[in-house]
Amino acid sequence: MTPNVSTAPVGLDGLSRRYGSTQALDAVDLALEHGITGLLGPNGAGKTTLLSILATVNEPDAGRVSVFGLDPRRAAERVQIRRRLGYLPQDLGYHRHFTVAGFLDYVAILKEITDRRRRAEEVARVLAVVGLEGRARTRIRALSGGMRQRLGIAQALLGEPGLLILDEPTAGLDPEQRLRFRELLSGLPGDPVIVLSTHQADDIAAICPRVVVLLQGQVHFIGTPAELAATAAGRVWAADERGGSAHLSWRGGDNRWRHIGDQPPAGADLVAPTVEDGYLLLCHAADAR
Amino acid sequence: MSARTVLALARVEAWLLVRSVLVLAGMLAGAVVIWFLIRPTEPLWWRADWRIGGGQLVLGMAVLAAAQLNAGRPRRDAMAELYASFPATAGTRTLAHLIGLAGAVPAGLLLLGAAAVVIQLSGAVGSASIAVLAGGLLLVIAAGAAGVAIGVRFAHPLAGVLGALALFISSATTHLASGGGIWLLPWEVFQDDLSQLPGRLTGYPPAGAHAAELAGLAALAAIVALAVTIAGGRSRARLALAGVVAVAVICLAGVLQGRPLPTAELNHLVTEIADPASAQDCVTASQARYCLYPGFGRDLPSLRDPVNGVLAHLPARPAQPLTIRQAALPSLDGTFTHGHPDQQIARWNTQLQAAPGDATTASAVYLSVGSWPAAGGQLADARFDVALAAADWAVRLPFPVASGQPCVALDQAREAIAIWLAILATRPAGSELQAGLNGSGGGFTATEVSNTMVRTWNYPGISAGYLTGATPQLTAAGYLLASAMTRLPEQKVSRVLAGAWSTWLNWHTGDARLAAALGIAMPSVPGLPGLAGPAGNAPQNPVCTS
Repeated sequence: MTPNVSTAPVGLDGLSRRYGSTQALDAVDLALEHGITGLLGPNGAGKTTLLSILATVNEPDAGRVSVFGLDPRRAAERVQIRRRLGYLPQDLGYHRHFTVAGFLDYVAILKEITDRRRRAEEVARVLAVVGLEGRARTRIRALSGGMRQRLGIAQALLGEPGLLILDEPTAGLDPEQRLRFRELLSGLPGDPVIVLSTHQADDIAAICPRVVVLLQGQVHFIGTPAELAATAAGRVWAADERGGSAHLSWRGGDNRWRHIGDQPPAGADLVAPTVEDGYLLLCHAADAR
Repeated sequence: MSARTVLALARVEAWLLVRSVLVLAGMLAGAVVIWFLIRPTEPLWWRADWRIGGGQLVLGMAVLAAAQLNAGRPRRDAMAELYASFPATAGTRTLAHLIGLAGAVPAGLLLLGAAAVVIQLSGAVGSASIAVLAGGLLLVIAAGAAGVAIGVRFAHPLAGVLGALALFISSATTHLASGGGIWLLPWEVFQDDLSQLPGRLTGYPPAGAHAAELAGLAALAAIVALAVTIAGGRSRARLALAGVVAVAVICLAGVLQGRPLPTAELNHLVTEIADPASAQDCVTASQARYCLYPGFGRDLPSLRDPVNGVLAHLPARPAQPLTIRQAALPSLDGTFTHGHPDQQIARWNTQLQAAPGDATTASAVYLSVGSWPAAGGQLADARFDVALAAADWAVRLPFPVASGQPCVALDQAREAIAIWLAILATRPAGSELQAGLNGSGGGFTATEVSNTMVRTWNYPGISAGYLTGATPQLTAAGYLLASAMTRLPEQKVSRVLAGAWSTWLNWHTGDARLAAALGIAMPSVPGLPGLAGPAGNAPQNPVCTS
């Protein structure tokens, strides 16, 4: 069932944003419920713009945003939203000379956690959640790329936010860390609204009950991962030879060619589609328009 | 804007400044600057407290750069977008950065305290001015506020470096300002007139008004920093109002600093200098009279010892007693006299020209106020200079000045005797004396007397200006003979001198005669490569003939 924009905890109504001649977002309507919503889309689809507007960092040219009933256009309500917000931007830099704990403590103050003891507990908590408790005194410059990404996630988790916006959180994480990240998101207390932007369709399939596909600034799909996969039903085949009519084809680990398209190659077997197949077909359709 | 958030952030920012390598380096560099500014000179509080500000200027430059780095940190570290999502706004952070400048205060206080202790332990004359010292601290804070204002707008570290450079240049270009205008600069480091004052002069420098100016500048920089980051019409209106107040304070402080010094103060100063007897305390010891401005009694032992050393070796003393007297500022420049009528200034300068330190007599030695070194090799040089001046008095070597040229005791035994007396009284290192035969560039020094080039000898400390007025130009022959005399038994030399004292004092008695009386060969003077003949139209030095 599609959530209602006006009654959902987080709603975007006719959201548009233009950068020069580029229409980054075009009349986006979206309702985000508690739990994880995966946001899929190619580079330049408008995902980061959408997330930055949700994070109250950016303002739309048109349309309305509502976060827990609050309107970010009003200064006082914007601060209220930010108090319930955890945000991990794409390509986050770090204060490299800070220690891990020092950085989190500083961010906790910026999140208005002013009580020292509560701040220390909160820092310890998020460090444990991301598995960096042994690195509290390490300078950020000494951390690996994956550890820094976990630190970025940790800062977003400070204060147990009601709205967690994660832009490419799994970039730079190794497979084990990605699995730990899925475990982490799944186990977050308080049932927050989580928006997860990623290029990893398997992350979406694994942990997101809902997925939104954003293409060329417009929402092209809202549904469950299974529904996204189902959009490719009857259009994905496996064959020994590469066919010429596929929108996309590649040789898989079983040494057979996987074809996505409207016409099957000769001798092909119809196979069950994945989220990735559905997403790729949506992208192809949008490009063809 | 939550006060708790501001204070919690400010605590972090202050701690970052306390631990900043830049601030630490600035403090050390400031200490080095203060050391170099105060070490070679007599510790006078009315000069030293202002020079401590010179070190605070260096610390301020470092604090400016550090504050700029801290304020520009989110943008420089690509975290501006994340910071923009926090409930603590950019204005909150800026305010925290400004309050966090308290983290630079310990460095300023440490610098100030250490310098004050060193100055006080070296026997400082006078007492420190709280307004001047507070001004130095305010300079550090104002520089930090400027750093924050730059940092919130320009994140690149070069912006802070340029800001620090601008601060330095603005304080090092005093020649572009005149009169009271020099005090409008952040800190006038090279104000040398303070060195020549016999005591603190009220309103010079105008420390209270300057501190107010610096406070106004700090406030203005803070307001600019907040205006860049705070949104909202009402907040901006309040900031604009505060900015107007800050500008008014700066203007008022500027006007106060530009005010002429009170006529009564300058009259008093001129009287103190032109008629030192009216202000100085005099002490007589071993028939020598020492007259010093109040507070300078610390110099007495180091003056008395070399003079007594000379007196102890004299077969007979001159009829006129010797007076050792301090002399001060020979003229008043525009930083003192701005705003006063030209006729009044001319009157003051006429009075000063009649001051005894600028005239020459055969019975007085004049010391430049503020130039008497505290310790070390310079004190040894200064002691030798006083001993030599006392010895010149003892052998009646006059100090006449003709056409600005000191006289030369050419081939006069009394010159060697005077040098010998000074060496006996102070025992300087032989190598230092020997170095006086060569110029600073390693070449020979010479002067023209009676159309002949004469090899000269420069005694230690000759160019340091410990004494005012002209002293005779000494010859290499005189020094070499004196040096040979020091290798003879002291009793033997004393006996020879006492046997014909009046003869030796006669300016016609030559070096060779003295050498013969002592039973030694006249030392040969090294030649003058390239300087064999007269130097053409160059002014000639007269022979000391009285």
